[in-house]
Amino acid sequence: MFIALRDLAYAKGRFFLMGLVVALVAYLMTFLSGLSGGLISNNVSGLIAAPVTHFSFQYDDRPTFRASLVDRAMWEGWQARTGVVHAEPLGHTTFNGRNQRDEPLEFVLWGVRPGSFLDVPVASGNRLGAEENGVVISRLLADRGVKIGDIITLDRVLTELKVVGVTADERNYEHAPILFATLPKWQEATYGPPGGPPPGEKLPDVVFDFASSVALDLQPTMTPEQIAAADTDLGTTTLTREASFQTSPAYQVEVFTVAAIQAFLVVTSAVLLGAFFLIWTIQRTAEIGLVKALGASNGYLLRDSLGQALVLLLGGLAVGVGLAVLSGIAFKATAEAGTPFQFQPATVALSALFLLAAGLIGGAVSIRRITAVEPLIALGRDR
Amino acid sequence: MSLRVEAVSLVLGDGDQQVRALDNVTLKVAPGELLAVVGPSGSGKSSLLAVCGGLRSPTSGRIHVGDTEITALNREGLTRVRRDSIGFVFQQSNLLPSLTVLDQLLLTVHLRGKTPGTADRDRAMVLLQQVGMESRSKRRPAELSGGERQRAGIARALMSSPSLLLVDEPTSMLDQARGQQIVSLLRGQCHEHQVAALMVTHDPDMLMYVDRAVHIADGRLKEMEVSHAAH
Repeated sequence: MFIALRDLAYAKGRFFLMGLVVALVAYLMTFLSGLSGGLISNNVSGLIAAPVTHFSFQYDDRPTFRASLVDRAMWEGWQARTGVVHAEPLGHTTFNGRNQRDEPLEFVLWGVRPGSFLDVPVASGNRLGAEENGVVISRLLADRGVKIGDIITLDRVLTELKVVGVTADERNYEHAPILFATLPKWQEATYGPPGGPPPGEKLPDVVFDFASSVALDLQPTMTPEQIAAADTDLGTTTLTREASFQTSPAYQVEVFTVAAIQAFLVVTSAVLLGAFFLIWTIQRTAEIGLVKALGASNGYLLRDSLGQALVLLLGGLAVGVGLAVLSGIAFKATAEAGTPFQFQPATVALSALFLLAAGLIGGAVSIRRITAVEPLIALGRDR
Repeated sequence: MSLRVEAVSLVLGDGDQQVRALDNVTLKVAPGELLAVVGPSGSGKSSLLAVCGGLRSPTSGRIHVGDTEITALNREGLTRVRRDSIGFVFQQSNLLPSLTVLDQLLLTVHLRGKTPGTADRDRAMVLLQQVGMESRSKRRPAELSGGERQRAGIARALMSSPSLLLVDEPTSMLDQARGQQIVSLLRGQCHEHQVAALMVTHDPDMLMYVDRAVHIADGRLKEMEVSHAAH
């Protein structure tokens, strides 16, 4: 890179401007990856944190937690299959409610059996089961002012729930915080009459035979064929935990939107760098001819040119990614609770790698032009 | 002989547009000799320079640079010969704008796959001293006069210890006095480094500063008498 490094120092203004473009694109890419990570985490953090490998739904081509209804035979049937470590009923209903200060709340009520593998650990307060109407709330709700001891009344059904514990991290679904209730309390709120059963009466037993899905912990040795056979026998549709993210309608749209913006940024940066290096090469055609006349091979000139692109890219990426990470940390620290922003080193690194690759592809556009330059032009064309 | 051109012809263009740029040209240049090729515009001077430098393949004939028949080489071979055995001095000097004068010389070392070291720098400074450019070693081309650029170009051409110098109209952008200085300098360097030099020029006034001269017209050569100035 004998010539390349000297060119960088000589044409500082031009390379600074191009480096600035790379840095700005890298900044935007990195910031968007933070937003992307935050959206994913914020949307389905409850699923990500659940200690499950699969969710089994009522048979459906496109199952959702909201529409699915499974019965006792299904979760007991799954538990009886070979290769199933745990199979637990999971209740899932979206509710609006109010606390005793009459503040409106929107959340997802999950029903799980205390002591089961789905029972959620708490960072403060008590776990489920200590009180019959006790709920453990997502950290997000605590950050929004809901406290242990608060009473939350569900709209419509008027079931009263008492906050007994708070999770260590955010547990959300479709950006709504999750309230973990005992499965019977969830079944009562979801299938029972408003206000609960009349005094002195119990809900019919059948109410307690239903849930939304079956949360599964399957052994890695269980094959897709075995899972499909269980689905056929039990009338269920089973998705991996990651595939179950798609059950959130917003998830797909958000991920696609952010991914599309990032893809456009990658393509834009490749085109910009390609155009820059192409123009730069065209401007240097006479110099390239001269260096070839002096005995430079095409390989020498290509290494020099791509090395120059690499230096420009790495410099721009370092500045852009560095500033984005710093401002992202500052943004997250000052933003209100629940702001969907989360850096994941692997995602940031992947974004940077994509940009690097795109930039080098852009830089490589000039390869053909460099190899096509004839050393004869060093003697001048018109003689 | 450092340069042997044997019955070389070069035909450019196709069909009715064909031009015989070189017609059965034969010449030799010995080590330490500066040969001038003089002729009007379009006579074939630059074509001769191009085929001798491996920048263009002749239609027929053979060319030897040192012991290497360059007309038998492929593209990569020609690149190697230009890098290792030929030094070019171009019209307008053709220096790279981003490189200092010293770096222009060190580039030829880098082109050979070496990282320039102290010995290379010392040799470059000696060459710059010989052409009177030592004090300008850290300047870029934009900071030099036309004559200084040519001097730097000559030093660069000598840096790789070539056996042949090909010099293209070195005085075209200079006034008479500076032109004479440059050609005298070239001749002195050829003698000192025992390098054969082929210089094309349209300026007959420069002939008194060269060892030998040939006239070219319509691609054909004719030996000329030269009367030397007091060198």
